[in-house]
Amino acid sequence: MRHRRAPSTHRRRAGYLFCLPGMAFLALFLAYPLLYNIWTSVHDVELSSLLGGAERFNGLENYRAVVDDAAFWHSVRLSLIFTIGSLVLQFILGFALALLFVRPFPLNGLLRSLLLVAWLLPPVVSGTLFRWLLDAESGAYNALLRAVGLGSLSHDWLTDPSTSLAGVVFANIWVGVPFNMLLLLVGLHTIDPQLYEAAAIDGAGAWQRLRRITLPLMRPVSVTVLLLGLIYTFKVFDLIFVMTGGGPVDATRVLSLYVYEVFFKFFRFGQGAAAGLLLLVVPLLTGVWYVRRLRREEPAGGSA
Amino acid sequence: MSHKVDRRGFLRTAGAGAAALGLGGSLASCGSDETDTVTLTWWDYFTLDNFQPGMNRLIKDIEAGVPNVRIERRTFPFAELDRQITLGAISGDLPDIAIVDNVAMNTLGGGGLLADLTDRVEQWGQADQYYKGPWEGCQVAGKTLGIPNNSNCLALYCNIRMLDQAGVEPPTTWDELASAAQRLTSGDRFGLALSAIKTEEGVFQFLPFLWQAGGDLDTFATDGATALSFIEDLVRKGSLSEQCVGWTQQDVNTRFLNQRAALQINGPWQIPTLKKADFDWVVVPLPRDKEAATCLGGENWVVMAQSEHLDKAWEVLEYTQRPSVLVPYLTSFGELPARKDLADEGTWASDPALRLFLSQLPLARPRQYGEHYADASQAIAEAEQAVLTGSASPSAAARTAATKINKALG
Repeated sequence: MRHRRAPSTHRRRAGYLFCLPGMAFLALFLAYPLLYNIWTSVHDVELSSLLGGAERFNGLENYRAVVDDAAFWHSVRLSLIFTIGSLVLQFILGFALALLFVRPFPLNGLLRSLLLVAWLLPPVVSGTLFRWLLDAESGAYNALLRAVGLGSLSHDWLTDPSTSLAGVVFANIWVGVPFNMLLLLVGLHTIDPQLYEAAAIDGAGAWQRLRRITLPLMRPVSVTVLLLGLIYTFKVFDLIFVMTGGGPVDATRVLSLYVYEVFFKFFRFGQGAAAGLLLLVVPLLTGVWYVRRLRREEPAGGSA
Repeated sequence: MSHKVDRRGFLRTAGAGAAALGLGGSLASCGSDETDTVTLTWWDYFTLDNFQPGMNRLIKDIEAGVPNVRIERRTFPFAELDRQITLGAISGDLPDIAIVDNVAMNTLGGGGLLADLTDRVEQWGQADQYYKGPWEGCQVAGKTLGIPNNSNCLALYCNIRMLDQAGVEPPTTWDELASAAQRLTSGDRFGLALSAIKTEEGVFQFLPFLWQAGGDLDTFATDGATALSFIEDLVRKGSLSEQCVGWTQQDVNTRFLNQRAALQINGPWQIPTLKKADFDWVVVPLPRDKEAATCLGGENWVVMAQSEHLDKAWEVLEYTQRPSVLVPYLTSFGELPARKDLADEGTWASDPALRLFLSQLPLARPRQYGEHYADASQAIAEAEQAVLTGSASPSAAARTAATKINKALG
């Protein structure tokens, strides 16, 4: 016994040793900022208190201030609309494109790579691009509409509070579609082509094959794509910041911009930390759900 | 002193330790020097290329004129400097000297971040040489926390040819401005351009209207509504583009430069660009209503309270205010002096446009509303945007903003 246990403890120790850099990284760059943020969120931290001595512990007062702020709830609403709008359209368009690209056709690879550029561009670049595209006077979309005689449809997309949110959602869809397409395409490739052949022999049309084979078999991949999209979309900041800065008025001030303003415009650190943690709730819950799904899928995938 | 190490103390010590490791070499070599040369760190946001020759010359002047001092300068993007100083307050990584936007005195002034220069300034005895607005902008709660670096303000630029063609004189009152802007509007050309963007820039441009209406932040519900409805009227009549809610002052100047706007509200920092324009223009004071007013811009020198070289830093500041140093510096920057005694020296004495701006400085008011000004500023920007985009009436927007302003400024 003794003889057999020695190498295993040894190996376990080596395992911990290998984990150490990763753990240190997580502790330094994830756990510490998060804990510091939690500490800040229960203290009265403003610029003056940072210099003038001890910050007062104030329990849940910061959270109460956030929850009592009508602007916070407005931001929550905007974040939900932004996220749901982006996700639904990104997914539908991504799925349609994946169905297109799953078939071989000339230049398939090239076109697919070009589409990916949208995903690879830094959000600051795409934001600037769309700000120009949607500009009322010099924007490309309005110029296009005017050129084809639809000048009456030209519009001040980002300056009109009633369409600016649609404008940023539009830009974000463009950014997110390639990501959806790529993952869904991988999913489509895992479906056994024999299933389609068999269905065709049995007389199933294209629509039936999509409804009865593709969609059900794509469910696990779809849920994964949507969960990852949700985590990513809910915390989008840079794209909107560049395009509208949260304006006009507060028409595009989603949660991430709200937190930014409380922190860096008003320097109410305690309240900002509280709002930041509330912002974290949605991606965190989604993340937990996602990881649990992964765990459940692993054994199932292994047996298949 | 207690021996308990608090969080900030720890961060500071850790930061100092890290700095010491890095500086070890240079410190060791300094130690052998006979004279104790003091290195002052200096932060500013003058990142553009055209500022560098003037800044380098100023620093060279200082190092030659002030005994035993060496300047270590670091620049940040405009929007980044306040934030860096704020974060520096937490981590302990702060400069000795900084040149900050005059409106930043609101946020930085509270809480003992800036060194109190009151006694030194009193001993120096030159306070009365400064224009009232710039000087008052450096006083926070009865203490002198900085001295003006340079000053500017807003005025009205007019495209001479367009005015002549329309038979319009440069406007001097709100009524004249409204009718001139309307008559100057034609095709894709707007009569007036100004910035109503949702940042401090837009507020900087809006406040003169509020003050001209005879009001201030404490009467925003009424006078704010007057100012808002005047600007709304310009938009409704088509004299001012609704797009101005997204324009920075740079965008405004581009409109004017491309002759897409006949009049623009802007500051003297646009003069170098406008000198290259292929049309003639003239600058006149902002049109008045009940009062004549303009908003003060520009930068202040500040010294950080935690600096270990307060005396040396003050010596540097004092030195920069000598005419022989200040005049070449301001001239190369194209900025205006905050000092009355320099009115007849430098380029601003001969250049008519600069001279006009200088003549407006006595009317320029600082945005001095205390620690929570940022909240008030945001409320004003949102009110203006709501009115100009048609989502609220001037009186309703002014009432909403007034509630927020009163809450913020108490």
